[in-house]
Amino acid sequence: MSLVRLHDLTLGYERRPAVHHLDGAFDEARVTAVVGPNGSGKSTLLKGLAGALAPLSGRVDRSGLKPNQIAYLPQDHGVDRDFPMTIGELVALGLWGRRGLFGAVTHQDRHRIEEAMSAVGLSGFEDRALGSVSGGQLQRALFARVLVQDARLILLDEPFTALDARTTDDLIALVKRWPSEGRTVVMVLHDLDMVRDTCADTLLLAREKVAWAPTEQALAPEHLLTARRLSEAWSDGAGICHRDHAA
Amino acid sequence: MSAVHSGAEFALPMALAGGLALALGGAPLGVLLIARRMSLVGDALSHGILPGAALAYLIAGPDPVAMTIGALIAGFVVAGLSSLLARTKRLPEDAAFAVFYLSALALGVLILGRNANAEVVFDLLFGAAKGLDTTALLVSAGAATATLFALALFIRGFLAESADPVFMRASGLPGGLLHLLLMLLVALNLVAGFRAFGALMTVGLMMIPAAAARFWARSYIGQAGTAVLISALSSGAGLFLAHRFGAEPGATMTLTAASLFALSALVGSNNGLLQNLPGRTHLEG
Repeated sequence: MSLVRLHDLTLGYERRPAVHHLDGAFDEARVTAVVGPNGSGKSTLLKGLAGALAPLSGRVDRSGLKPNQIAYLPQDHGVDRDFPMTIGELVALGLWGRRGLFGAVTHQDRHRIEEAMSAVGLSGFEDRALGSVSGGQLQRALFARVLVQDARLILLDEPFTALDARTTDDLIALVKRWPSEGRTVVMVLHDLDMVRDTCADTLLLAREKVAWAPTEQALAPEHLLTARRLSEAWSDGAGICHRDHAA
Repeated sequence: MSAVHSGAEFALPMALAGGLALALGGAPLGVLLIARRMSLVGDALSHGILPGAALAYLIAGPDPVAMTIGALIAGFVVAGLSSLLARTKRLPEDAAFAVFYLSALALGVLILGRNANAEVVFDLLFGAAKGLDTTALLVSAGAATATLFALALFIRGFLAESADPVFMRASGLPGGLLHLLLMLLVALNLVAGFRAFGALMTVGLMMIPAAAARFWARSYIGQAGTAVLISALSSGAGLFLAHRFGAEPGATMTLTAASLFALSALVGSNNGLLQNLPGRTHLEG
């Protein structure tokens, strides 16, 4: 069963499409990789799925998911490392969806934070300042925050970039566990071996859909070749797209 | 102007109470502004209140209540418009503030130009402790109370939105409203202090202790508490010096804060200069 459906979705900036007329569905409790060359619209798609970017046309049907049931970890995570906050407090932000501005943090919530920190191998780091940990440790903390969010849809944009092998392995083990907990994962990746190892389905994107199928099928050589040929289509002289009217 | 700004003319206990109120409300806001990399926004807002005060002066003469209300309205308008423009993502926030506060400043100068002497402008920007009466004290106390109340209520949102705005937007936090509220609180505290200590000097008491506090504490609560302490100390010592030597209190308070900043930067326990001298032994882990 699909959790998120895309209906002729076009996403972009300043009226220029980065994802163009995309149709399809992300199945529930599956890990789907979004793969494609640089500038192919992968991050834009994740933003659109998260609701952080409104479509230029078409729509995203999230099966009634509320914002607090979606966990989104963008490529540029946006955490201010100089901000006077501890790792424990950063992880606790994951409670936001349930506790909001005024809700009290319960004993159970604290336990959940401890469990999440332990699951990503950060026990004992609760009181460390944001600026005092390494990039890998911060990424572990952001994964812990995703765990605390307890979301049904998890969107990860190149989550393993610049991480060492051990950190990557630890975090991938977490991702692999999520489908069995009923969570749906959409993850932008570049490493095709990792995609084959981790993701049941793959969307091969080059602004438009090249293939969206079980991973082995989607990553067939002819599809990869097609994706490579489709280059960025950002032109200052671009005219109006008439496909909406033709449809 | 020295005759007008004779420091001996103000009542020390009342000024001390006003300074304490300013420390309690302003310093925790200063810590938030620095953490959000918006240190100069207070400065911009302090110019932005000028046309409101000037217009009130034009209509009602040098009436303290009217000028406070005018300044408050102008501050809220500048803060609101700048935040709104920045939220549209068409312009960086500092640029939005530059546009509005410079326009406001020009408007203030235009209004005052033909209707007042330079002394009034000087008083607005740099303060006149003789203006510190019971009304001004009540405004300061009210602003401090409102600020502490709002901080207690919304601090979780302020901190979350500052530390990771992308995440909080995705989680449905009303970041724009919180940001606007923060700007309004800054404007409120500037207006609370401007008549006695001057709009610009009030910013000094908000920002300099907050900057100094970073050399003593890591967490927001630690920094806010330290900033209040430094701000209150600066107010007390500055007012005493002004009273004793007949100087302008806004200036002596700000310079005292600057001295405490220098001291903090040198010997502060959190990354002070002396802690990082070359050749010092390093830690185990």
